[in-house]
Order: sequence, then C-alpha cells, then structure tokens
Amino acid sequence: MLWGLSPRTGTERSMKKKAYFKADEADTGLGKFKGLEVRIGTIVDDEWDEPMGPTPMPDPTGLRAWDHKLLARYQPSYMPYCQVCCLCTFGKCDLSGDKRGACGIDMKGQQARIVLAAANIGCAAHLAHARHLVDHLIEEFGPRTELIQGPGTEIHAPVSRLVTGMRPRTLEDAAIIVDYCETQLAHTLSATHTGQEGSWLDFESKVLHAGMIDQVGMEIADLVQISTLGFPKADPEAPLVQSGIGMMDTNKAIILTIGHNIVPAAAITDYITEKKLGGQVEVGGMCCTAWDITRRDPSAKVIGPISWQLRYIRSGKADVVVVDEQCIRTDVVREAQKVKSPVISTCDKAVMGLPDRTEDTVDSIVDELVSFKIPGAFIHDHHKVGEVATKVALALKPKRRKMKFFPSKKKIQKMAEECKKCSECIRACPNDQPVMEAVLAAQLGNFEPLRDVYQSCIGCARCESACPNDFDLHSWMVVAAEADCKDETYMVRTGRGAIQDIEIRNVGQPIVFGEIPGVIAHVGCANYPQGGKDVHDMAEEFAKRRYIIVTSGCAAVSAGHVRDENGQSIYERRSGDFDAGGVLNVGSCVSNPHIAGAAIKIAAIFAKRNLRGNYAEIADYIHNRVGAVGISWGAMSQKAASIASGFWRLGVPVIVGPHGSKYRRMLLGKAEDERAWTVYDARTGDRVLTAPAPEHLFYAAETVAEANVMTAKLVLRPNDTGKGRSIKLSHYIDIHEKYYGFFPDDVWRYIRRDSDIPITLKDKILAQMKENNWKERKIIDPTLLKEQVMGGGS
Amino acid sequence: MVMRPVPWQTGEICGPDSAKSLTKAAVLKRDLSKAKSPLLIVGSEAATEKHGKGDMVDYAIALSEAGKMPIIATGGAIKAFIEKGFEGAKSMGAMEVAFRLQDPEWKGPNGKGPHDLIFIYGIPYYMQWTLLSGVMNFGTHITAITLGRYYQPHAKWSFPNMKEKAYHSALDEILELVRGGK
Repeated sequence: MLWGLSPRTGTERSMKKKAYFKADEADTGLGKFKGLEVRIGTIVDDEWDEPMGPTPMPDPTGLRAWDHKLLARYQPSYMPYCQVCCLCTFGKCDLSGDKRGACGIDMKGQQARIVLAAANIGCAAHLAHARHLVDHLIEEFGPRTELIQGPGTEIHAPVSRLVTGMRPRTLEDAAIIVDYCETQLAHTLSATHTGQEGSWLDFESKVLHAGMIDQVGMEIADLVQISTLGFPKADPEAPLVQSGIGMMDTNKAIILTIGHNIVPAAAITDYITEKKLGGQVEVGGMCCTAWDITRRDPSAKVIGPISWQLRYIRSGKADVVVVDEQCIRTDVVREAQKVKSPVISTCDKAVMGLPDRTEDTVDSIVDELVSFKIPGAFIHDHHKVGEVATKVALALKPKRRKMKFFPSKKKIQKMAEECKKCSECIRACPNDQPVMEAVLAAQLGNFEPLRDVYQSCIGCARCESACPNDFDLHSWMVVAAEADCKDETYMVRTGRGAIQDIEIRNVGQPIVFGEIPGVIAHVGCANYPQGGKDVHDMAEEFAKRRYIIVTSGCAAVSAGHVRDENGQSIYERRSGDFDAGGVLNVGSCVSNPHIAGAAIKIAAIFAKRNLRGNYAEIADYIHNRVGAVGISWGAMSQKAASIASGFWRLGVPVIVGPHGSKYRRMLLGKAEDERAWTVYDARTGDRVLTAPAPEHLFYAAETVAEANVMTAKLVLRPNDTGKGRSIKLSHYIDIHEKYYGFFPDDVWRYIRRDSDIPITLKDKILAQMKENNWKERKIIDPTLLKEQVMGGGS
Repeated sequence: MVMRPVPWQTGEICGPDSAKSLTKAAVLKRDLSKAKSPLLIVGSEAATEKHGKGDMVDYAIALSEAGKMPIIATGGAIKAFIEKGFEGAKSMGAMEVAFRLQDPEWKGPNGKGPHDLIFIYGIPYYMQWTLLSGVMNFGTHITAITLGRYYQPHAKWSFPNMKEKAYHSALDEILELVRGGK
C-alpha cells in the first residue's frame, strides 16, 4: 500500500517510511527500463499484524491524561534552588512568597519549568548521540542494514514499538524514529521559552514526555550499535572484562577514552587489532565509552566511573586522552597539559577549544601532538582518530614513562605546612569531607586521613579551586591512596544488551505475582555521598534476597568495584541472567531502555497485551503489576533526570541519593490519602481502595539505610498475589528492622486479606491491624484507566 | 573559621530571603513563646556528632522532653533513638518531611499538629538546604530554626557558621530557654 507525501499525523505517520531505488537497467513485468529512478513517499508496514493502539507517535499532549493521573497521585514537592528567575531580560524577577515574574510565572511554575529544562537537556544529549550513530552507521553500512537485538528477542525495540507504533527493522527505520523524537524535543524545549507554558502541571506532563522520548532515543542508539558493531546481543554471559586503575598495564602505551560515543573509540581498537599492536598499546575507558568499547572489544578495559577522570589523567599514565561526548571534564585539556598528555576531541558537541586538524594528514597531526606544539587536536574523522591516537601514544610512551607527575609525600608534607586553615576546601567539598584536617595531619607525616578522604572523593576538585594556596589537593589524596589505586583490580561483566523474551517468559509470572520480590535497577552517575561501595552493598543486599538486580552506566562500574573474601566481584559470583538473584549489566547509559523494555515485554509476553502505540495501557500495567524500582545513587546530570523521567511515565518509581534532592522536585504520594489509592477493578468497574503502592514516584534518600527500606517498600504493587505480597512484606519488615531497628508501623496498610500476612510475623501484624481498625479488601485486577474496565468502562 | 552568616557550602547561595543570624538563644524567645506546636526534626548525622558527654541524639531527646515536642528522625536516625531506649521519635524521610511541612493542615507524626515551628539539624547540609527551601517558599506557616553548626539561609534563624565551643554553648542555652517554659 502506498501513501502520498501529504502531511499526516498519528497512526499514518507511524507507519510510513520513504523508499527510493535506482537502477541503471531493469527488466520488469512492465518492460525494460534504463536509468530507472523511483521515489515512493511512504510504505505501510503491512507485515505487522498487531493492531495499532490509540497513541502512536504522541505529541506533547498525546498522553496528558495519563500524566495527570500519575501527577494527581504523586504530587510534585518543590524545593527551589533559587527564588529568582534570570532567564530573560525582564528579570531578574523575584518569585519569593506569592510574587509573580514579569512574564506572569509563579514559583511553582518556574520550578517545573527548570525541571523540564533539565529533562530536555538530558534528552537532547542522548538524542544527538543517537542521531550521530544512526547517520554514521547508515553511511558505513547502508540504510537497509538490519537491526538485530539478539537471539530470543522477537519483541525487539519494545520502547519504540510502544511509543511510535513502529518496529524498527533497519537503520532507515531508526532514522525515521529519531526524526520523530527530534520533533518532540523541539516542542518540549520550546515550552520552556518565556511566555509559553504557564502551568506547573503541564510543565510536569512535558517532563514525562521528554523522558519518554529520551527512552526511545536511547533505545535506538543502543539498538543500532548492538546491530552493527559486534556487541554482545542479549547475552547473559557477556564477557568479564578487566576494570580498575590497577588493571592498566603501564608497560604498554595507554590510550584513555572518555565519554559515551563508541565511534572514535571503536576506530582506535579496530586500528590496534588491524595493525596487531595489542601487545604494545592498550585502551581504557571511563564513563559509558568504557562499557561500549569493552562490548566491542573485551580486551579493552573499564578504568572507572566518571568521577575517576581527574585522578587518572593526573597520574600521567594515559599517553593520549581521547574524548567523545557527555560527562567529560570540561577542563580536560588543561589537566592533560599538566602531565603532557595530548587530547584528541572527536565530537562536534565537545571540541574543547582545540584546533581542527580533521583535514590534515595523520603524520602531520602526530608530529604536532608528539612535539607538544599543540595541546591537542579536534579530529572529526574517526578513522583518522584511531590511527593518530595509537601513533601518538606509541611515540610518547617511552618519554612519558620516565616522567613523574605526582608530588612525593615528603614534598606534600612540606607544602601542607603552608595551609592557612581557612576551611575553604571543606566548604567547597560537596560531601563536606574533612580535607583541611587531612592536610593538617599530612603536615605531621600522617597521610591516613587524606587516604580516607580519597575513598569518599568524587573527584570534582572543588577543594583545589577554593584553596588560596592553589594546592593540588585531589592529587595529594591520590598519592596518599597510591596503594589503594594499585589495588583497584576487578573483573566486571560488560553490557549484555537486551533481556531475552525467553527470560521474560520464565520470570514474568513470578514478578507479576510478586514471588520474585522485585527488579531493582542501579543506574546513573557517580556523584556518591560516601563512595561507590554503597552501590555494591545495596545491590548485594537485594541480590541475596533473590531480587533481580540490573545495572548500567557508572553505577554498573561501581557495583563491580568491590571484591568479596574470595577476591570476586559481584559479577563474578552472580549470574548474568534476568532471574532471581542475578546481577546483570545491560551496558551504557543508552542501554537503560533495555530495563524499561523488560518491564514492557512482561506486559506483552506474560499478559499478551499489545504494545503497538499503546503507551497508557502498558504503563498502567507496569505501574500496577511490575515491582520495578530504579536507583540512581550518584545521580548528577540532566541525563539522569531525563532517564528518571522516562521511568516515571511508565509508572516506575526512582530513588536517588541525597544529592538528588538538588533536582529540586520530588514526586511523592500520601499513604493516608485514600482517594489517591482508589483504582478501578478491571473486572467489575468498581472503584476499590488499594494499598499505597508504590508510595512514591521520585524520592531522594538521605542514607543507604533509608534507600534500602524504601526500595523494599516501593516494589509492592496492587496486583501482588497473596503469596507474592507476603514475600515482599517479609523482606520489607526484615530490612526495616535491620536498618531502622524496629518493626514497621505501616504493614497493616498492605494487608488485603489473611493470605497477605507473612506467617512467621502473624501475631505482630494482627495486633497492628486491630489497632488500625483494618478491614478486609478484595484482591482486584487494578487499573487507573477507566477504558481498561471490561466492556470499556461504560 | 568563617563567622559571617554566609552559607557553609560556598555555592549554596539563595535568593532575596535569608535566615537571621542566631548568635544567642534569647533571640528565639519571641518565636518560642508564640509557637503553639513545635516539632523537632533530626537527621542521620546526629548520631555521630558529639555534644557534651553524649551526642546530638541525646541532645534531641533532652530538647524534646524540655519542650514536649515530638521528634521526626530522618534517614534511619531512628535506630539511634531506639538504641537509647527513647520511644518518642517517629521515622520519616527528609523529603517526605519537606513535602508535608508545605501543608498547613498536616497533623504531624503524632497527629497532634499542625506544627507551626520546627527545630532541625543532622541532615546532610545540602539536603537540609533544599528541605528548608521547600519550607521557606511553600510552608510559610512554619517558623524554621536550624540547630546545626553551619549557616542555613532558608531558615528563619540559623547559627552563623559557629566555632565549635561557642556552638555547643549556644545549644545548651537554647535547651535552657526551651526548658524554661513559654
């Protein structure tokens, strides 16, 4: 079936794609043609017999009704970071009290607007990444290259199916989906302009829209790279790879890659493989590029999360630094210059002020970099990057290994005597670490306190910026912790990609019924309040209780950076299967939609729900049935904000660490507000009170203890069976007693009938139920959507 | 040591409104006498902060008993209260507290509110900063007094980044003031 090129919306738009072919000579049933060129506006994907749902490719208001249901239950709690607005020349406008700005906006609206701005920025970063990958891979492999998520993934690209109504089967399809996402982002970004949206509620709805679009863009980014670049394909046994500063072999030339976009880093490992230089050069990555290079080439190494950048650059071990995009230290050139490491920037979004050498010959660029005539170069041709980076690293390694970059302890002790005791280092530290006291101890030759600070340090170096003596305090910490750095040697499982349909088939029922108590995803950045070990400890606490643990991004690195008494990381001692007790790393930031995808596929496979353009129904299903919780303990970036927003729209709660309170808005429920927890019984259409589950949608926890207790609570779902609810409550009570020291006083709220009560705790719970005038409730088929009631709710 | 009333964490500056400097307990007299229902909020750091012969959990217990005010313990601080045999504290998340304090009808942890005055300390500096911002902007019925050592601009009253000795003396004076009745 052919469609014309006239503008279309909704369903039609979701099905179309442009087709073009050209033939010098063609012998067809219609005759013989020379110089044939045919352009077709659109072709409908007739082969997919799944009926189209109500909201393919929704615009920013397409799912507004669903958003408002969520936002009525989980109300925004704003904590302004600033009382003024300074976004236009009307301002600055004082919005304190009940004042409004010159444009008419009030404080609540302004806070929601800033939240939307953050979600847009995060979404833009992933989407631009996806666009680059799609365009680049089309150029390399052709538009008709098939997209393959892996064996056992018949329902590939579940997020794209759900949102767009399309099955992206080729790179060309991927490009159409990215087109749609870019249009949506333009709309949600434009809403933040002065004199556009005015309601906090509609700003928040657009936050959810930007988050959903972000999920689609990320899914496409990972799908296209998995399909074409030789990554593990939905593989529970993705390779274990070396990780940690101590794993880097300084006998070889070292290339450090930082960022998120695999293309230049892949060119480096490809060049090394092609020239058989693996014995002389090694490649280590930081942040998500680390995961993606090891997915492509398991001989590459994961040095550490985002917060390890400064300590590794300053160590001088990297002979060349190659940056691509996102989460790169913006002073990377300045820092690398201090240790005579040239920087190669490769991405138009992060040129870093370097001269453009894209058109120059490899030899001339190498000469300039090796002789330090230029501190680095912008090379926008990844093939050239591979060759230049390798040649520069090999040329510089012999000279650079003789250099020492960190001061000796003796020198630090001497410098520490000049400390002015002004406390500015402590005041600048995000985690209030006792930096000054540690420096004062170093005066006396005691380096243990500096070593302690290293363990919690997020590597921001704000202490140095604040120091009136310009001391390199972060370097001092690294010197004090030299032995710890050398000991950072771990084996971590690289990103497996999607979850297989067969895995979902095996666990779908126990998850929906609550017998596997939950799926917990540790994702995001490394802005930890007390170091990355917390991520490991949280993951282990729940893995040993047979929850399914999924990891991605920097959190996936931190989870693997703890060894047990047998010297094994969590990835070595636990299975990579999507099953009870498994700990599976899906990959980089753009792999996060595999986590959302698993929840979506539960609805498709276990409950046989249609996904195609059917967002609200599936989100309602997940929200009421799939006990999934996202945790981003070190959430820092706007990307983390947009990733979280995508999970919120699916009804999946997200917990962040204490720094996450600076996102300045939580989405919180009120357990005692019965109206908020009253849902439809899909079987009867009756309005029925359920438990406050999940109680919150976005929550910053102050401590690991609080995060663990909240996680155990937020996996509760209205649809849990009696057995499932009883298992979940057993864990909640046990974790609550362990970390808070007492039996939780809200268990009664989650008891619907006798079968929900954990048998060994019956007496205590019965007493609590009596005290609170508990009444028996039905176990229903819960939905927030009237149209999901049998017969359409009429 | 910085003595000016500027935020302890240098980047955490705020908008047009900022807290008054709490340099002596007596300045609180008026607000304490007006308060009908005070509430004490104590965060996770209280258990590791020393005060006198005990810690800031002991101080909270003393202050609560002196002012007959309920305690909310955040971030798992409840465990320290229980270990000390004190049963008058309730556990809530700091973010839940920030949310509830914006509601003038909220009855508080024991159902005896609404509360019109809070004492607060022990939550990580930046998190308390955001919590108090929510209170200052949307919980305008609340008088917020921070009892941490460092300046919190979003309270009504805050210590101005005190030296340790002076800080602990000031805490004792406040305890005496509360004990002295309203």
